[in-house]
Amino acid sequence: MAISLAFGALISLICGLDRVAILQIMISRPIVAAPLTALALGEPLIGLQIGVMVEFLWLARLPVGAAVPPDDTQVAIASSVLAIVLGRTLNVSGIELLLLCLLIAIPLGKVGQYFDHYARQYNVRLIKQVDLALDRGSLMGAEFQHLRGLTSFSLASIGTYAIVVLGGLLIVPFLWPLLQQSLSHSSAWIQLALPLVGIAVILGTINVSRAITLFCASFCMSFLLMWLV
Amino acid sequence: MSLVLTRIDNRLIHGQVLEAWVPFVRADCIVVANDSIAGNPLKKMMMQASVPSRMRVEIGTVAESVALLKSSRLHRCRVLLLFGTTSDAVRAYRGGLAYDQLNLGNLHAEKGKARLSCTLFLNPADMDDLELLDQAGIKITSRCIPADGERSWRKLIPALRGEI
Amino acid sequence: MMTISWKTRLYIWFRLLLLQASWNFERLQGIGFFYSLLPGLRKLYKDEKLLDVSRKYVGYFNTHVYLAPMVAGAVLKLEEDQASGTADPALEVDDFKEMVAAPYAAIGDALFWGGLRPLAAGITLFFAIKGILWAPLIFILIYNLVPTWFRTIFFVRGYRQGMASVEFIQKHRLPDWAIHTKETAIVILGGLSAFMVFSHLNQQQLPSWLGLLTLVPMVMLGVVARKGLSTLLLVFITVTSIFFIGLFWADMVYLIAS
Repeated sequence: MAISLAFGALISLICGLDRVAILQIMISRPIVAAPLTALALGEPLIGLQIGVMVEFLWLARLPVGAAVPPDDTQVAIASSVLAIVLGRTLNVSGIELLLLCLLIAIPLGKVGQYFDHYARQYNVRLIKQVDLALDRGSLMGAEFQHLRGLTSFSLASIGTYAIVVLGGLLIVPFLWPLLQQSLSHSSAWIQLALPLVGIAVILGTINVSRAITLFCASFCMSFLLMWLV
Repeated sequence: MSLVLTRIDNRLIHGQVLEAWVPFVRADCIVVANDSIAGNPLKKMMMQASVPSRMRVEIGTVAESVALLKSSRLHRCRVLLLFGTTSDAVRAYRGGLAYDQLNLGNLHAEKGKARLSCTLFLNPADMDDLELLDQAGIKITSRCIPADGERSWRKLIPALRGEI
Repeated sequence: MMTISWKTRLYIWFRLLLLQASWNFERLQGIGFFYSLLPGLRKLYKDEKLLDVSRKYVGYFNTHVYLAPMVAGAVLKLEEDQASGTADPALEVDDFKEMVAAPYAAIGDALFWGGLRPLAAGITLFFAIKGILWAPLIFILIYNLVPTWFRTIFFVRGYRQGMASVEFIQKHRLPDWAIHTKETAIVILGGLSAFMVFSHLNQQQLPSWLGLLTLVPMVMLGVVARKGLSTLLLVFITVTSIFFIGLFWADMVYLIAS
């Protein structure tokens, strides 16, 4: 278990940095991060299922300018780790546990947004250091300050991951016996509903004038075609 | 014409305005009231190139923009009005433009400015400008993008007074 | 005539991958932009002059990450001209930076975050639903195609053309392309949602026409999302309603059966 959690932390760090600080090759998207985590822990399919459910939830929240979107990367990674680790300890498999972990991780993941905020606020201190370094005539010093910013972003990622995983480890085993039975009645429906909620939010907030019309037309058309076949 | 959003943003047209505010307020015309952009054809062209062609963009000096908004040329448009600074907002108000709410988006940090929120930095002159507009009954709120909470600028001031 | 060698330019390109490492609320990408360009500036200026130029560069700057290389390329060219005294006096490097930053940011946000991301996610979802484990790799490949092109080709082009590099952006109406991308993404998501609902109903052995009703809650959710309700709240409402309906339904079935 400790090894799994550590693996998760490592991936949380790499993907977390990809979000803002470096690269931006989108390994931070849930559809990539969750399967990657789950692959490292040996059960890629669980990650894929979680990735699909989380990917669309906050896709409509764009990282525009100084706006900080919710940290879907850490929600995806942490809930994959939780689902796999708890699945092994509680010796259960199936979509219900996965859903419970995810539903606990989603609200806990809210801290990610605050941490991200703090990291960017904390980096304001680097400005002063850069200015001082330049006054001293040390360009190397100024370069170093820039790289120091990576620490705050790393801490924010790992911190979010730790809080979601710890919270999940405390809450899920407690709720699981209570909800296992009741959740089985609706689990398949919830699994379907989560990506659809995300897609609906995209429709509502995307900058395309006739988004809903286009969507409905495409939906009905595809639906009727499948029905014909 | 209806003025759906009046915003102060030192970056004028950028992602937050186009991707978040335009769909939220369903604007179909952006008016940029800024003397320096209006006076530089290259800057003006660059700014126009960043907006989809189905959207109307009017870039002019503050005086020109006020005249445009008061005329009937933007009849039936849902207008999003952008200022670059607080003093431009005051000039527009003095020029006779009636607006009842003012959104504070981004005002970037400079020497002598104090921090109002993460993205808002004001100097004493800015404070006086906002005070004046506030006295005139304009509802001033700070909100970067629609998904953020809306906060009255009055509530943010206590933190600011200490810093100036 | 001072020029920056291709090796230095390559180094700068790699440094641009770390552009936002010190992103902060006061100067945004400012320090990162200075950090990236520094190897080039070192070649052009020396001692006190280099420090002065550096102080200018660490100031406020922000644009889209994928378009920053293009700005960097053009700025390098302009600095070269400046250093060798062949600069166009009409436009300072600072002015150029300021002029392109916000428009490029707007274009990039619309094209990449607003358009390409949902499109790539939509396409990938097809594979993910099929249970193909390579789906994430497909996402990375589809998504990164265009950004990588912008990051590399436009860095080179920016350096070669300097000021004139803005013409490409003006000529090609990229914001309209962003709209087309978004429209395509919506059509794909529409078809995909239909498929998910259809196959789910088949699995549950329910009549498939019921699926058309999904549009009602989805449009409702879209409308309230537009009003500014948070995703978190919408997820909470949806999940709890489905949960309780599920419980109630199970009880009903049980009652009728007994």
